[in-house]
Amino acid sequence: MSNFSLEEAALMMVEKPEKGEPLGLFFWICVFWIGLNVFGAIFANLLPLPNPLYENFNAINIGPGLHHIFGTDDLGRDIFSRIVYGSRVSITVGIGAIVIGFGIGAPLGMLAAYRRGRFDAILTTVMYVLLAFPAIIATIAVLSFWTPRSMFKIIVVIGIASIPLVYRVIRTATLSVATKDYVIAAKVQGATDRRILMKELLPNIAPIAVSFFLIGVATVITLEGALAFLGLSVNPPTPSWGNMINEARTVLSQNVWLAFFPSLALCLFLIALNFIGDRIRSHFDVTEVKL
Amino acid sequence: MSDVRTPLLSVNDLEVTFYVHGHAVSAVAGVSFEIMEGETLGLVGESGCGKSTTGKALMRIVEPSKGTVLLEGVDITKESGKSLRSARTRMQMIFQDPISSLNPRRRVKDIVAEPLDCWKTVTGLERDTLISDLLSKVGIDPSVYGNRYARQFSGGQCQRISIARSLAMRPKLLICDEMVSALDVSVQAQILNLLEDLKAEYGLTLLFIAHDLAVVKNVSDRVAVMYLGKICEIGPADTLYESPAHPYTEFLLGAALEADPDSPMHAQTLEGEPPSPMNPPSGCRFRTRCPNATQKCADVEPLPQEVAPNHMVSCHYPLTIHHQSTTRTPLEG
Amino acid sequence: MSDDKLLVVKDLTTTFATAGGDLAAVAGVSFDLERNETLGIVGESGSGKTVLSRTIMGLQPRVNTTVTGSSIIDGFEVVGASENEKRTIWGTEVAMVFQDPMTSLNPVMRIGKQIDEALRVRLGMNRKDAKARAIELLELVGIPSPVQRYNAYPGQLSGGMRQRVVIAIALACSPKLLMADEPTTGLDVTIQAQILNLLDELKERLEMSVILVTHDLGVVATRTSRIVVMYAGRIVETGTTRDVFYHHRMPYTRALLESSPKVSNKSHTRLITIPGRPPNLLNLSDGCSFAPRCKYATDQCHLVRPELQPSVEPGHSFACWNPLPVNAEATLP
Ligand SMILES: Nc1ncnc2c1ncn2[C@@H]1O[C@H](COP(=O)(O)OP(=O)(O)O)[C@@H](O)[C@H]1O
Ligand SMILES: Nc1ncnc2c1ncn2[C@@H]1O[C@H](COP(=O)(O)OP(=O)(O)O)[C@@H](O)[C@H]1O
Ligand code: SF4
Ligand SMILES: [Mg+2]
Ligand SMILES: [Mg+2]
Repeated sequence: MSNFSLEEAALMMVEKPEKGEPLGLFFWICVFWIGLNVFGAIFANLLPLPNPLYENFNAINIGPGLHHIFGTDDLGRDIFSRIVYGSRVSITVGIGAIVIGFGIGAPLGMLAAYRRGRFDAILTTVMYVLLAFPAIIATIAVLSFWTPRSMFKIIVVIGIASIPLVYRVIRTATLSVATKDYVIAAKVQGATDRRILMKELLPNIAPIAVSFFLIGVATVITLEGALAFLGLSVNPPTPSWGNMINEARTVLSQNVWLAFFPSLALCLFLIALNFIGDRIRSHFDVTEVKL
Repeated sequence: MSDVRTPLLSVNDLEVTFYVHGHAVSAVAGVSFEIMEGETLGLVGESGCGKSTTGKALMRIVEPSKGTVLLEGVDITKESGKSLRSARTRMQMIFQDPISSLNPRRRVKDIVAEPLDCWKTVTGLERDTLISDLLSKVGIDPSVYGNRYARQFSGGQCQRISIARSLAMRPKLLICDEMVSALDVSVQAQILNLLEDLKAEYGLTLLFIAHDLAVVKNVSDRVAVMYLGKICEIGPADTLYESPAHPYTEFLLGAALEADPDSPMHAQTLEGEPPSPMNPPSGCRFRTRCPNATQKCADVEPLPQEVAPNHMVSCHYPLTIHHQSTTRTPLEG
Repeated sequence: MSDDKLLVVKDLTTTFATAGGDLAAVAGVSFDLERNETLGIVGESGSGKTVLSRTIMGLQPRVNTTVTGSSIIDGFEVVGASENEKRTIWGTEVAMVFQDPMTSLNPVMRIGKQIDEALRVRLGMNRKDAKARAIELLELVGIPSPVQRYNAYPGQLSGGMRQRVVIAIALACSPKLLMADEPTTGLDVTIQAQILNLLDELKERLEMSVILVTHDLGVVATRTSRIVVMYAGRIVETGTTRDVFYHHRMPYTRALLESSPKVSNKSHTRLITIPGRPPNLLNLSDGCSFAPRCKYATDQCHLVRPELQPSVEPGHSFACWNPLPVNAEATLP
């Protein structure tokens, strides 16, 4: 029999924190903000908002006020309402494209890092070749020819363009986990590859993946803005944050609010996303304490 | 210890070659040994000599390039797929780094239950009882710590959890790769005693790999000494340590530091460092550092020969086997 | 004569402000060191050996760290000295060999240049002299073909060779005190013996004093004249090496000796273990820090900390309320 009392075991227990850095209040404020935006995007038509496409020529370019809290644009449309509806395009494109990128890039990245060998070598070479193409230019080129533009097409194009990036991040994250002894240990317990991928690898790369997902969404939303600036996003009059900023450009001297509010919405949304992504990574970063 | 037993594991001419940038690294170069049922075989040697690779090749974590590994008569090197996975459960391995052997994001109970969940041998209440039982056996209170995450434990405790996990499927053979090397002496002693107790209780057969000569002697019935991918000497622990027959073993033992100010200082130390396994010397692999080497050592590879009962050595000029004496001379000039 | 001591450490305390509160990694440590002497500092990991040796040199972290007491190296008070003042003694009076040669060498700089730098910056040598001296140093530490190796990068050398380079750098400005923090941990026994022999030899040749910091009792047993045993940031026993090994009075020293396996033991010798593991420095009790693991502990031990008190032999002292009897030697395993 082993000569260990449970008391002794208790004595040996080291107090290590359950989690890494605390999340903090600002994190929750950011989560609330993102939540609010997403809620607005989903339920925009149920909310008591004026029609974002309704052109009221009696109220052109009014500043923020009681009737129109953010004011109206040069066609008399309500800016607040357009921002809320615009978030639909921006958020859908952001999430949709990254979902495509992850849906294809993440499993491939994990498999490649776990399998290694020729599968990995070929796939990684292909991905690096794709990465060498300037994704933005490729996106612009495809979108200029693939008309008429729709939100779906934009999502597909950006989504495909993001696959190599997601692949690289997930593959690197998996590589550092896949060589750990506990993965070998699971293998010698008789675990199947599928089980190892799901139980040993996935939970350990999840924080990085989630964090990269959020930062990716932010990047795609910015990209959508850039495309809109080149007139390559959804066709007007459908509002998107990028479209709105683009349209405001021409009338900047008459109405600064027109550019200010969508920019503010975009900025706050991106800051919140990036902050959440960053925090999640450091919070779940259980760096293994050395002996 | 003298009764006739059947070998549980018999390894024949095992070779493992890695390819690094197109160069062949012969990490294990024809290793043969047997482990009897209930026996502990120690495997010592300097780092890079191929100990871990040998252990991993037995479990097919790395693929042997040649040779056979018979576990209870079944050749592991011929298995694949599900039968390989199932063969692996009859052998288990414990690793050097206690902390990286456990998934930091899983609960202790689930870690120990992993093999059971993979194979669904026992489920439900029976599974939980078995897990609690295993954890208490290794000195971890299941009701207090079972639900904690692995990352909250110290090195010694992680090693206990690893042991519990490895016992869940009731394996026959346990391969311990440097399992106490990362631990402090006081914790190391606890784990070594625990291992001896569990070995008796579960009727385990052990392959105990370590670079620490004192630790290996402490747990082993027989000891094999490896140098550059080959076993140069294998024999009963006490006699091998008392009277090594291979010059390398003698140097190794001479370099081992005893925690005793009166222990004799060995003036002669082994000079230089082992050659690279990418480009091993011809003949005897130790000849480049061996003071007794002759032309024959460069030309002919020494084959294992028995110098005392159960005591095999691969050297053209083995040292005289003696007991309680200090003079050591080569057998022939 | 106290003014002729090379090093006088008095009541040295190093406290880190951590998220969990103040942590005294070194607490009230006093000892001194003669010229041309080798002193061993032993203790399990986390006992404060590294922090102590760094604080003695004034190398403790700059933020969230408080140092009190005094550490006088050849008449120079390190505690409270500014970085610029300390720079005048670093290298010339005292130098350090770190545990991990890979992280203490710059991986992208040729090793020769790394030695040169010290010589040129500290001793104001010109390029040519510095190179000649660097090659001399490489030769001194036993690196074969030093002229070619001068141009090697650290990554091209083995662990043992890298440690030699680190020693060469430490010796560049002929320090009077060499602080070696686990210089052989992670090296193989044969390489470890080479490095320890080298340190011994250099100490005699260059008339230095050496402080050998290690967790391995084997390393200090035959290489030091005196030993300091640390536990939870304090000295619990100190004396000549023989006194500590054969006439120890403190139960922890005994436990440490008993729990390390010995090459001379018969195989399957049951190790005597101490339960538990070293305490968490954040919530130490007011009593003896070993009390929770000590089989002799009484109420007094848990409540009041024992101070170091002299034993019968000169220079031998221990901190314990219930010391082992003076003739403890007779009962040593
Ligand atoms: N995956 C690998 N790829 C290439 N070389 C390897 C690999 N694993 C081990 N080696 C080499 O094989 C030799 C034996 O390594 P190892 O079995 O780990 O030695 P030990 O456990 O005795 O220290 C070493 O030279 C090492 O560099
Ligand atoms: N910079 C630091 N901040 C906080 N705690 C530290 C720091 N450095 C060391 N410690 C703590 O001080 C104690 C002693 O550490 P150390 O001197 O490295 O031990 P040893 O070298 O004996 O293994 C440990 O508990 C360690 O966690
Ligand atoms: S003071 Fe007490 S607790 Fe501490 S070592 Fe001595 S007997 Fe043990
Ligand atoms: Mg190894
Ligand atoms: Mg240390």
